[in-house]
Amino acid sequence: MQSDRRMRYLISFLILGIGMVMLLIFNICIGSVRISFGEILRSLGGTDITNERIIWDIRFPRAVAAMILGGALSLSGYLLQTFFRNPIAGPFVLGISSGAKMVVAIVMIFLMGRAIRVNSLTLIAAAFVGSMISMGFVLVIAGRVDKMSTLIVSGIMIGYICSAVTEILITFAGDAEIVNLHNWSRGSFSGISWDNIPVMSVVVLLAFIMTVMIAKQLEAYTLGDSYAMNLGVNLKGLRALMVILTGILSASVVAFAGPVSFVGIAVPHLVKAMMKSAKPIIMIPASFLGGGISCLLCDLIARTLIAPTELSISSVTAVFGAPVVLWVMINRNRKRMS
Amino acid sequence: MAYFITTEKMSVGYDGHPLIENIDIALEKGEILTLIGPNGAGKSTILKSIAGQLKLIDGRVIIDGKDKENISRDEMARTMAVVWTDRIMTELMTCEEVVTTGRYPYTGRFGIPDKADREAVREAMELTHVTEIGDAYFDKLSDGQKQRVMLARAICQEPDIIILDEPTSYLDIRYKLEFLSCLQELKRKKDLTVIMSLHELELAGKISDKILCIKDGYVDRCGSPEEIFTKGYIGELFGISEENFLWYL
Repeated sequence: MQSDRRMRYLISFLILGIGMVMLLIFNICIGSVRISFGEILRSLGGTDITNERIIWDIRFPRAVAAMILGGALSLSGYLLQTFFRNPIAGPFVLGISSGAKMVVAIVMIFLMGRAIRVNSLTLIAAAFVGSMISMGFVLVIAGRVDKMSTLIVSGIMIGYICSAVTEILITFAGDAEIVNLHNWSRGSFSGISWDNIPVMSVVVLLAFIMTVMIAKQLEAYTLGDSYAMNLGVNLKGLRALMVILTGILSASVVAFAGPVSFVGIAVPHLVKAMMKSAKPIIMIPASFLGGGISCLLCDLIARTLIAPTELSISSVTAVFGAPVVLWVMINRNRKRMS
Repeated sequence: MAYFITTEKMSVGYDGHPLIENIDIALEKGEILTLIGPNGAGKSTILKSIAGQLKLIDGRVIIDGKDKENISRDEMARTMAVVWTDRIMTELMTCEEVVTTGRYPYTGRFGIPDKADREAVREAMELTHVTEIGDAYFDKLSDGQKQRVMLARAICQEPDIIILDEPTSYLDIRYKLEFLSCLQELKRKKDLTVIMSLHELELAGKISDKILCIKDGYVDRCGSPEEIFTKGYIGELFGISEENFLWYL
């Protein structure tokens, strides 16, 4: 049995890994200009080709960003679900993404208005502050109500308020540069360049490593506070770390791609079903890979479905993610009834 | 012989309000203490306070000569294991995985069990007769099976003291008796000290070295089973007339 389980993990990780590489290639090849795989290889080899700019300056960084940020998003969803012991938690439904979006919009409008260039780290910092503000509200509410549904509804309300404030700010800003914010505030991977990638990768990688380091504590935490405490887990410290890591991960996504819905909430469930295990040490890397794959796929669809017009990434992720959330809720209900 | 665990003038309760005051418990290594008393008397509150889940309102808990406050989290995890009555959420966790969480204080950075850990898990599972259901998902089990798995989990934590809150409530008569022999075996082999609450007075009488009776916010009596089960006392403790339950004993 134990070897069966190991085999399942191994095969699932292989599928996820291969899926990721294949989608990465598709994302570079497919688009309004079709590029063959051979051309990519030639471009990598340094041979000059006509489409080099499209590959290197536009599609490659965009695909890499979708992969990293998708992973970050899914991992932050997994952490939130573990934290609240609530299967329908995620950075988007709890209003954390919207909080981050609001503060990023404020900072961008303020700095752009003064013709100051905004760098990646500033964006992440602003998004982090925003996500912590929303998370603070969510935690206060969670401390007062015990019901799962109330927590989610409160999160959605916080999300609405933040989104409304962002919309108002953007509308009144009106400057040509700022109008571009509108696209970002709806969620999109477009416009990400190589300049953004190093900071994004380092921040997300560090958060990922930190999450792997607390995998053992997370497993004890899933047994409930009283057992975790008895096993020697520092509950306060662990909770604080989970909140900060969630904040960093979802902030990185919002800073570069705006709020992306449903990946954070749905992907952890899909990989859990695939692995048939909820072990954090398995779930953490699996969620990350799964999130990367989902965002690569959804971004590909967003770019190509009605090309040359681009859909917002969230409208694609919602089509795939919302049914998963419904499935999770119905399934849980059925379990409780039986 | 020196006592292994004692409580000195311990007061327990919630939010700073004492529910039961001046609890003095003194147990030698390998002794079994059972808390009995009516529902809501505060048995679980006492157990939770000794385990450190609830802050003490007053007094001290001393384990092996050290104030519990000064014992590190890691050391406590190796000293004391618990089984509570509340359900745990264990999506997609097999019984064996649940039991293995008991090895937490012994495993390394990533919590991967080594050979010795797996051996401890196997032994504990055999002792509580859950080996056959090792690969079954925990949330699909009956309440009685869950109780035995949680007991195995606590045992493989290799504690000196084990705290059990109504550990037999879901067990049928066969497993109740097996549970008794299991505790006695642990006591004999590993010198395990047990503090638990029980509703089954006949079990309490058979297995306990000491019994603590709790009633209306105070410790009413404490002593050996012979001292406790005197004529008329149980009726008084539970507020019933003796003839109504004599058949039960």
